[in-house]
Amino acid sequence: MKLEGKTALVTGGRGGIGRAIVRRFHDEGARVFAADLSPDGSFDDTGAEAGEFITLDVTSENDAIAAMAHVGEQAGQLDILVNAAGIEIEKTIEDTTLEEWNQSFAVNVTGTFLTAKHALPLLRRAAAAGSSASIINFGSYDGFIADPGLAAYCATKGAVHALTRAMACDHGPEGIRVNAICPGYIDTPMLQSFFEGEGSGGGGGTIETLQQAVRDVHPMRSYGTPEDIANLVNWLASDEARYASGQLWVLDGGLSAQVQQMRL
Amino acid sequence: MTRLAGKRAFVTGGRQGIGQGIAERFCDEGARVITCGRGADPGLTGVAWHQLDVADPAAVNALAEIIGGIDILVNNAGVQVEKTVADSTDADWDLVMGVNARGVFNTCRAFIPRMQRGGSIINIGSISGHVADPSMALYNASKAFVHGLTRSVAVDHGPDIRCNAICPGWIETGMLEAGFELARDPALARDDALSRHPVRRFGKPGDIAAMAVWLASDEAGFATGQLFTVDGGMTAASPLNPGLF
Repeated sequence: MKLEGKTALVTGGRGGIGRAIVRRFHDEGARVFAADLSPDGSFDDTGAEAGEFITLDVTSENDAIAAMAHVGEQAGQLDILVNAAGIEIEKTIEDTTLEEWNQSFAVNVTGTFLTAKHALPLLRRAAAAGSSASIINFGSYDGFIADPGLAAYCATKGAVHALTRAMACDHGPEGIRVNAICPGYIDTPMLQSFFEGEGSGGGGGTIETLQQAVRDVHPMRSYGTPEDIANLVNWLASDEARYASGQLWVLDGGLSAQVQQMRL
Repeated sequence: MTRLAGKRAFVTGGRQGIGQGIAERFCDEGARVITCGRGADPGLTGVAWHQLDVADPAAVNALAEIIGGIDILVNNAGVQVEKTVADSTDADWDLVMGVNARGVFNTCRAFIPRMQRGGSIINIGSISGHVADPSMALYNASKAFVHGLTRSVAVDHGPDIRCNAICPGWIETGMLEAGFELARDPALARDDALSRHPVRRFGKPGDIAAMAVWLASDEAGFATGQLFTVDGGMTAASPLNPGLF
């Protein structure tokens, strides 16, 4: 078990990817706090492997302060922070309202900022106690290259990438590592919503033909699972990754290694 | 237009396509242009021609001796072999890496000592040096070599010489049309490929030549060590475009 004795907090802990990370951390021996808007978020999860639930709206500074106070009281320190909370607005900039734009940044960027900011004292405490403290943010391959009709999402993920490097520079000397994982297509409620959305499937196919076409474009011929992401998060959170910091880790089945595919 | 007036330029691979486009634009901008290729003189007006295989270091050195001092070097000569690693032969390696990688090294080594302060080297890289074209393994790797060498030349030979690479996307040449002809439905393949370009057209040699003129000119005096992608926006988008399925 890689994370024995460590304490972790995962935002978006009831979402598709967050829930898989919570379970993996639990299996690896960590004490896990799963933070989300409500305990039944995207997934209603109970039992020890679902972690200790904390109500957290990542856009609220008061919530972030309260969550960290709770972790401090319960565990005394925080070794691992995973910022997995995120939303996706499927629109071009022309169709995106200011409210939607602000909400995208509030959750994906400001949420990462607020949670990390108020977790720092607890992370420093872990580092001072000899732990390789680790923050893992969620970027996206969309922070490098664009999917059509996802303008605000692409922009927020690019911001998370830059914030990740900045945090790594600033807090590395304190013994805190900061990395971002940049997933490609992962089988989550967010992806299914994208498949069902108006912006996709323009060729008139069914969701099944669209899903198969998406698999076929990937060199690995499949899209990823939340567990694939949890595998890398687990490594970055562990002491094995003690020299890994400031990097953007793309995990996309090889999708972005290729140029656009000509349909022959 | 005389942005390159008084400058002397050597462009490798000037027979057709991008190289021809660059040679013609450089002439229009007032440069004296010399090109080369493995075949016979294509007879471009106002352009001097030398027969040269850039993969041959002795031949490159001998020609550099004849040409003498230049202000602008464009490494455009390139070949491609459409194979995976498993299918590629030693001869394929020698051909692709010989021209695309060693050729660029040969000309840089021969001409850098013959370039004065203010000189500009422009290498033709490729979007394939960043992201893989399927079944183009050696070509993709050779272009990544060009990108790496571009940065090294810029770092080692500044401030006298600037060195940049242009990374073209799909440029309209006979090769692109031949590719569509192989498709089950050529018209559909063409439309599909076009829809993956935000500018809704393929590139022309003149699009690449326009960037080459800028990089060759003194206006680009602060640009060095960089890779400039000119691809109509194709690689800004994900290779997966669900709207097309």
